[in-house]
Parts: sequence; structure tokens; C-alpha cells
Amino acid sequence: MNLFGVFVGIIALFIIGLGFPLVIQGERRFGYLWWPYMLGIGILIILVSLFITSDWLSAVIGTLGATFVWGSTELKEQAVRAELGWYPFNAKKIKPPFEAIIKKWKAPHL
Amino acid sequence: MNMGINVLGLVAAFTAFLSIWLGHVSVRKVEAQTVNLWKPTLAAIALGLGFEIAALFTASRALSLVFGILGVTLLWDAFEIRRQAQRVRKGHAPANPANPRHAAILAEPNTHAITYDLLNRDPVGRMVDTDEAFELIGRSSR
Repeated sequence: MNLFGVFVGIIALFIIGLGFPLVIQGERRFGYLWWPYMLGIGILIILVSLFITSDWLSAVIGTLGATFVWGSTELKEQAVRAELGWYPFNAKKIKPPFEAIIKKWKAPHL
Repeated sequence: MNMGINVLGLVAAFTAFLSIWLGHVSVRKVEAQTVNLWKPTLAAIALGLGFEIAALFTASRALSLVFGILGVTLLWDAFEIRRQAQRVRKGHAPANPANPRHAAILAEPNTHAITYDLLNRDPVGRMVDTDEAFELIGRSSR
């Protein structure tokens, strides 16, 4: 019996679950225009996982990175949900660096 | 000192991202098309548990974690099918009039269900009222 996959799977479930408050709170406080930074953080976390010698920790960190990458694609839709009043709307968001450039890019949505 | 690259994190990341994506898209599709939700719910639970059992009997750590992550996301999807049905009822996800189960919800007096996707637009940076929410997706009203 190999418990490795089930063990990683259970931890992955909790990490993916953390993606929900991550997107909700991230959008509320910062706004969806932070999506390239969230995407970058996710890719960076996945790159870090490559250098972790412990197999299970590498897998868990990789899942955390994937959650950030996925979260970056959810921010735009979450912003619309807040505008519709389905989630609390915060008008005073912290603006991202290079906001004008980011606004010209199409925010990802899958 | 061994400075080898550990690809297990990358394998986990790809599996997690792709299975979340696949689940996200399939739950919406399946909920919109299916009349009896217990069928896909049961299928997702069975498949999810099947992957977890497969993970237990796979010697390779890489393949074991792929099965482990796929399994838990499928179990999550079973739960999301139910949540998606509640979103449709609230009008937070579009109802499919061709599905008798959705048609019945749409026909209820004082229903909140709608056939349009209010999320299918770019953010405008401020709160919008119902009328504007419909205008922004190219509809004059519900």
C-alpha cells in the first residue's frame, strides 16, 4: 500500500479550499487587477517546489502554487460578483503597481 | 549534497490546476444538462473514491499523487454539483430552459432564476443595480 497519493490528496483538498477565501479576500482588499501578481506568485511557488527534496512537501507546495495560479483566473469574475452585491464591495482597494498597463491586458478567465 | 530537481511539485501543480479547471467547467455543464442530479453526484463520488483506491495501490509516487489529487477534486465536484444547483436557483448561474428541472425553477412564482449569465462581462469598478447589471451583459431587462 502506498499512502503517498492519498496523503497529498487530502492536504491538496485543504489547500484548494483555501483558494476560496484567498480569491474573495484578495479581490475585496486589492481588486482583480492584481491578477498578474497572483499568477506570478503561483508560478514562483511552483518553481520553489522543484528545489524541495522532501517528496510530500514538494507536492504540497506545488499544489499551493497551482491554487494561486487558478485564483488569478478567478479574480475578474469575483470582482463582478462583488459589483452585483453577492459579496461585500470595497470601493477603497489597494491599487497594483503598473495598474494602467495591466488594465490594457485581458484578465484571464477559465 | 544532492541538488537534484524534484518534479513531484510540478506534477502536483499540473494535476491540481487541470483537475480544478476540468471540474469547474464540467460541474456547470453537467448540472445544466442533467435532470436527476443524484446520478452525476454518485458517479463523481464513485470515480473519486476509485482514484483514491488506485492511489493506494500505485507504487510510483508521481502517479499515486496524480490519482490522489484527481480523486479529491472529483469528491469536491460531487459537492459542487449541489452548490451549482443552488446558484441557478438564486440567479447566480444561468438556468437552462431545455432542462425540465431548470424549467420548473424558472416557472416558480417569484423565482430568482434567470437564463442569462450576469458574470459574463468585465468589472466596472463600482456596485451596479439590477437594471444596470442586465444592461452590462447586453440585456434591457430580465
